[in-house]
Amino acid sequence: MKKFVFAGTLILFMLLTALSVSAKELDAIKAEGELSFALTGQYPPFNFVDENNKVTGFDVEIGQEIAKRIGVKGVPVTTAWDGIIAGLLAEKYDLICGSMSITPQRLETLAFSSPYYRSGAQIFTSDSSKITSVADLKGKKIGVTLGTTYEKWVRENIVDANVRTYKGVPDMVLEAANGRISAFVTDKIVGAMAIKEKNAPLKMVGDLLYEEKMGIALNLGNPELKAAIDNALIAMKEDGTYHSISMKWLGIDVR
Amino acid sequence: MLDWGIIVHYFPFLLQGTVMTLKISVIALFFGFIIGLLAALLKLSPNVILRQTGAFYVWIIRSTPLLVQLFLIYFGLPQLGIDLGPFMSGVLALAINTGAYNAETIRGGIISVPTGQMEAARSLGMGPTLTMRRIILPQAFRMAIPALGNNFVILIKDTSLVSTITLVELTLTTQRLIGSTYKPFEMYLMAAFLYAILTTTTSVLLGKLENRIAVERR
Repeated sequence: MKKFVFAGTLILFMLLTALSVSAKELDAIKAEGELSFALTGQYPPFNFVDENNKVTGFDVEIGQEIAKRIGVKGVPVTTAWDGIIAGLLAEKYDLICGSMSITPQRLETLAFSSPYYRSGAQIFTSDSSKITSVADLKGKKIGVTLGTTYEKWVRENIVDANVRTYKGVPDMVLEAANGRISAFVTDKIVGAMAIKEKNAPLKMVGDLLYEEKMGIALNLGNPELKAAIDNALIAMKEDGTYHSISMKWLGIDVR
Repeated sequence: MLDWGIIVHYFPFLLQGTVMTLKISVIALFFGFIIGLLAALLKLSPNVILRQTGAFYVWIIRSTPLLVQLFLIYFGLPQLGIDLGPFMSGVLALAINTGAYNAETIRGGIISVPTGQMEAARSLGMGPTLTMRRIILPQAFRMAIPALGNNFVILIKDTSLVSTITLVELTLTTQRLIGSTYKPFEMYLMAAFLYAILTTTTSVLLGKLENRIAVERR
């Protein structure tokens, strides 16, 4: 038995160290006629599932517009945020078009398009909370979505923070309303929309923590695909398509 | 307390998710059963290499979590150039996983058949394969069906894990809709109800099967 376990483990390791796959190029996407892009579907109004069980929102329409301009069909794929980069690296989809901010750390493993919108990090609490500033968060239970820049920021900047990680913003909205967490940090527009559209019993606290630029992520070594995305973004900003998508979902132009 | 409007509106969408859950369950159940049977026979083989292969498979699967196996197949294999989609990955992980449990169940059924049965068949001139097929396995399955049924029910519930690899089955459908409705109670209640229907139907059908093959014992 021991010998067998050893041999089995050896074979497993040999398999694991075998070759990795190469990135899918623009030609392959055109030949396939489909451009798939990932998002969580848990991030209204940027991406979410509507009352007809359809994935929609700002990110989805931007992704579909890019696909249209490349001449293929855009297919949104919903996946958990903490596995979204692993899925891209494993080529389960071609892009991440789900409000991912461009960070130096992510640029080590991924390529990004030019920024497609700007927003920032904001603290939200229940509307009856006594928290009024970042300083009040010390030692409190703070919610963040796992694997976000917000998680990193809270861990690095808030003393003794009791960080609770979630799969998406709606979970945190419910948790803050129930009082299980004292506050959560997410995108300002996302939180503001939850308050406005869903009557979530929340309020914004303090100023923007920091500004972020969101990009469309793709695998490294795809210069043609990146150029095609950037060109599509420039064109839709020029001809007003971007403006109307932004106004439709967010009520402001976020370029 | 319950928002019935939400339930009425979203129930059809959850049903769509249930169809996907059912599809994965049935396919994984079928292959899981075949894998289980083969592994059980391997483990009972007189050949030491075959026996150890069967034992290794059952050991490695039963000693690791299904979620890790699922991620290994879905996220890990593409690194080796094997890219299975979410559906294939999900079915494969579930079939391999439930196969290991079925193997032990079926093996238990086989060894519970008295050795006299084997000896009698062999002395009538039946070969080992024919004996296994005609004499041992039919009796072994009668013994194994209640425990196999248990494995099937567990399999159906375990399909909820494939929601983590982008497959829009019942659990992921539910989670996605909570994201826009903020109604976790109604939504998860509906999901639980639909899972209960699937598992209960399976149990009832297997119970009927059990009674049918038990007829000659009465």
